[in-house]
Order: sequence, then C-alpha cells, then structure tokens
Amino acid sequence: MRLLLAEDDRMIGASIERGLKQDGFAVDWVQDGRAVELALAENVHDLLVLDLGLPRKEGLDVLRAMRRRGDDRPVLIVTARDAVSDRVAGLDAGADDYLVKPFELTELAARIRALLRRSAGRAEPVVAYGDIELHPDTREIRVRGEPVALSAREFALLEALLARPGAVLSRAQLEEKLYGWNEEVESNAVEVHIHALRKKLGADAIRNVRGVGWMITKARGGVD
Amino acid sequence: MRPARSIRRDLVVRLSAGLIAAIAVAAVATYLRARDEANDIFDYQLKQMAASLTGVPLAGAPPGSASGDDALVVQVWDRNGVQVYLSQPQQPLPRHGEPGFSTIGTGGGDWRVFSALAGGQIVQVAQPLSARRELAASMALRTIVPLLALVPFLAALVWFGIARGLRPLDRVAIAVGERSPAALLPLTEAGLPVEVAPLVHALNGLLGRLGRALGAQRAFIADAAHELRTPLTAVHLQAQLAERATTDVERAHALAELRAGLERATHLVEQLLTLAREEPGVNERPFAPVNVTDLARHVVAEYAAIASARHVDLGMPERDLPADDAIVNGDGAGLRAMVSNLIDNAVRYTPAGGRVDVSVQRDGDDVLLAVRDTGRGVPPSERERVFDRFYRMPDADTAGAPGSGLGLAIVKRVAERHDAVITLGSGLPGRSGEGLGVTVRISASAGVRGAEKNDRNIS
Repeated sequence: MRLLLAEDDRMIGASIERGLKQDGFAVDWVQDGRAVELALAENVHDLLVLDLGLPRKEGLDVLRAMRRRGDDRPVLIVTARDAVSDRVAGLDAGADDYLVKPFELTELAARIRALLRRSAGRAEPVVAYGDIELHPDTREIRVRGEPVALSAREFALLEALLARPGAVLSRAQLEEKLYGWNEEVESNAVEVHIHALRKKLGADAIRNVRGVGWMITKARGGVD
Repeated sequence: MRPARSIRRDLVVRLSAGLIAAIAVAAVATYLRARDEANDIFDYQLKQMAASLTGVPLAGAPPGSASGDDALVVQVWDRNGVQVYLSQPQQPLPRHGEPGFSTIGTGGGDWRVFSALAGGQIVQVAQPLSARRELAASMALRTIVPLLALVPFLAALVWFGIARGLRPLDRVAIAVGERSPAALLPLTEAGLPVEVAPLVHALNGLLGRLGRALGAQRAFIADAAHELRTPLTAVHLQAQLAERATTDVERAHALAELRAGLERATHLVEQLLTLAREEPGVNERPFAPVNVTDLARHVVAEYAAIASARHVDLGMPERDLPADDAIVNGDGAGLRAMVSNLIDNAVRYTPAGGRVDVSVQRDGDDVLLAVRDTGRGVPPSERERVFDRFYRMPDADTAGAPGSGLGLAIVKRVAERHDAVITLGSGLPGRSGEGLGVTVRISASAGVRGAEKNDRNIS
C-alpha cells in the first residue's frame, strides 16, 4: 500500500515516514500544499495523510479541491488543531478520519489500515481469499491456517493482489505499490518477489497473464 | 487601627463644626451689640434720673422707690462734700469727682456712674454693669437658641443628602464588581453626576486597556501552546522510533534525532521566556552603559562553533571595527538577546559556504549595529510580517533545524524598549540571493530617555 504524507515540519515528517515504512507501507512525503496536488495527480497513492497547516496551500483547501475533483481516496488528517470546531471542519471538508498531534505511530498505522480496509469495502480486518489469509494488523500470512513468513516487499505485493482479487495488475501498477519516489526500483524485482511468493504459497496461487500482468487465484485443492 | 475614612461622616462633622462656630460668632456679635445698645439706653436713663433729682430737696426717703429692681444707687452731696442722701445704705459708693459718665470697680462688681453738679449739690446715680451684661446675654441667647436647634436638623439633612448624592458611586462599585477578566464591558457613562463621570470614564479607559492586554496575552498563550505542540509531537514520534529500533545503528540514529528534537523544543521554550521577559512593564531592568562592540564580539565568539559547523563564515570585518566608544545606555541582557537573535537568524538562514558580517559603528550620537548575510534575503513585501511572532517565511528553512519564529519578535521588543530603529535591507550578495542586512540604530538620547523612565519608575 502506498501512502502520500503531507507534513511541513521536517522532524515530524521524517519520523512519520520512517515509522510507516517500518509498518510496511510505501510512503511519499511532501512538504507543501502544491506538492500534495502534484502527487495526487499521479493517482498512485492509496491514502493521504494530511497535515492542515501547510505552506503554499492550506490542507483543508487541498482536501476540498480533491473532493470536488471526485477523488474519493481516503484522507486522514493529522494536525495540532484539536478544537471540536476544527475536527468538524476537517471531517466536513471530506476527511475520513482525524488524528490530533501528538499521537502514537501504532495508532496512526491502525487507523490507516482501517481506512484502507473500509475503502476496499471490507469490514473484516482479515483478508481471506481461497486458502490464503492476510492479517494487516499483525502483518501475518496464513495458508490453510499455517503461518508463512514473508519479506516486507512480498507482503506488500500479496496485499496489492489480494486487494483486488481476480483483477490483473500490471508490473507498473505493482511497482507503484511497492516503492516510494526516492526508492530505486530494481529491474525484475516484481518477478523475483512473485517467484518467492509462489514458492511459499503454492505455485498456482498467483497466475501470470502473459504480456499483461498477474492476478491472485484460488489455489487448486482449496475450499471453493 | 484607625477607623475607615468616610466622606459622609467627615462632611457632617465639618459642616456641623462650621455651623456651630458661625453660631458662636453670631452669639458674640449679638451680645456685643446688645450690650452697646443697653449701655446707650441705661446711660440715658441714668442721666434722666440725675436730672430729675437736681434741685429736689432730698431728705429721708428717696423720691422714687429706691429699693426697685433697677438697683440704682443715688447719692447726693452738698456743697461742702457732706453726703446728704444715700438711697441704699448697703451700697456705699465712693464719690466720684468728675461730672459725667464713668465706670468704677468696687468689691461688689463694676458700676456705671453719672455725676452732675446742680443747684450746689452733687448728684451721683450709679448702676451695676452686671444688669446690662445680663440683659445683653439674654438677648444674644434668644437669638442663637433657634439657630442651635437647626444644627441637628441640618446635619441630618446633609447626612441623607450625601447618601443620596453618593448613590451613583455605589452603582459604579456594583458594576465594577460584576466585571471579570472574562467580561470587561465598559461601564455606562450616561446619567452620571459630573463628579463621578470622570472616574467612570477613567475606569472605562483602564478596562479597555486591560481587555486589550488580556486579549493579547490570551492570543500569545494560544499561539505558544500551538507552537509548542509541533516540537513536542516530533519528540514524541522520535522517542517511539527509538523504542522500536531493533539494531544498535537504528537506535543510535533514532536517539540522535530525538536529541535534535529536544534541542529544538528547548530552544523554543527559551525563546518564549526571553520574549516574556521583554514584555513591556515586566521586570524592567534599569538601564546602564553598555559597550555594543564588546557585546557583539562576545556573541560572535559564542556562535563561532555553530557557524563553522554549518560552514558559514561568521565574523566582524576588521576595517569596520570602531573606536571603543560605541557605548549606549541600555539593558545589557536585553541587548545581548537582541544581538544573539540577529546572529542566530543570519547563521540559521545562510546556506553553507555563505558569510555573516557583524559590524558596530558610530553615527553622530547614534550607534549602528548591523548584521549582514549572504542568505536569500527578505523581499520587501515580507519585511513587516517577519517581526510578527511565530511568523516564518514560506520555505524559509533551507538547512538545519527550523527556527522558533520568535527571533525577530524578540529583536523588535528589545528595540522598542530602547527606542531603537530597525531597518531591513539587502545584505551581502551571494549565490542564493541579495542577502539580508539588519541595521539597528540605537540613539544616545533614547538611552537617556530610558534612564529617565527608570528613574521615574524607581521614584
């Protein structure tokens, strides 16, 4: 899952970015309102973590403009403004959640997972497809109830595939979910991770559609 | 303990005392006048009596009933000085030689005497003065008794009149009592007596000033709380990352960031305290002679290490070094905070490889302190706003930790206390722009004024 983080304070931004990466998210961090809009236009992020006091363009203005464009990606406001009227204004402008500074990184990650889950139309925190169960909160994968150890990138890749079961995701789409801007994308990385995933989950868990991309399938022998 | 002063009681006491004194004066005047009149009347009577006795053969009993209340004493002597008649044997009076009126003192009091020489006889009529005094006193008494009866009546009238007159003051007191720091509404000035209106007007002025000062304080506290939350949030997050660290390298990195975060929070708190100390009317330190050159040298030395860590060349240009007479009358600690903040700003916002020059010069009676850097400078449109507290220029911090946003607010406060003038202009042209030059003109006369102000504050 790739997140866009808008935070003008360098220390706070660096810490949130680091913490969210540790939690397995790909994070792009921008420091002003204009940069948020440019990044949103790329349409590669799954969720926006938005600070309100941004230079160049206020966070609330960015949010309103985003909703006017019909962009309905989840937005989590993170701000020092704690008055009830501020929260109401933030939520009414189109935010999905509101977190007041200072906060715990674990809570931020949990709220982000909840928003992603809801935007994917799921109420259950556990993503289950065929034999595979993905626990976003504990970052655990079970196949037929047995835990399977995955690397952070493998987990992110599987998460992206499981988010849209049956849909074919291109290499570019998968790379977007795996890497932030300043991370270098290794060539063949997607193939390497898919290969590793197949070894761990079963050869037919992920199907390749030649020239198009990959999709998750219900493994043969699984409970239909 | 002395009893509380009361305008009402004071007025009643003073008015009554004045009234009684006036009545006393009136009584004395009435008495004196009545006595003069009584003298005239009785003297005339004595004269008439003497005239009526002249030539009357006096033998045996006196003609008029001598035993009357008039207590007149009639004496008659013949040519040879032999007393031929004495109306009241128990009141022998000496013979008085001179004809006409005279007053003589005897053991039995003063007497008014009239002598006349007629028909070879000396007739002397005398009357005790006490009779006249009694008459005058009774006349005076009759005049003042009704006046005295007026005193308590007037006192009561004044007592209640004043209570009524002072009622607006009670209303003002209640209205002032209802005011609280949360509700400093002005008092009604309509319908007040002219004696109370200036007080209420002055109170309203004070309430207005208090309200504005409180509003400014509240805004400051709200701003400060908000601004404190940012570095504290950073520290909070940095501490969480340090807790999460699994390797020594990660932990060392997280702790270094935590330390930087704590330094930023500490710096902000210190800047807030400095600003609070420079608040007008708070803990105003007395002015004393301050050598600005020495001060600038000290602060430059203090910042040398920080500047060199940021690869900024900080110094005082040799050729500009003035004679050591750059002395102003001022507050040493305040001026030091001002110079520190100017140099801190210059070092903070000047990119690596840049230069910061600090100079002190004399211009007539004024001392000019200038800090010039090779940073991006401040565009003219921003030059007013940069002095607002917590205002930071957009994209101001290109390197290093963000500033507190209070540096120039502190500089402005100190300058105001010293009646100094700050000018923002271009600095030293460099790669990143035309630079920023801040000049502070501290005038010697301003220092003197400051000193006078302090004298006034002490006295």
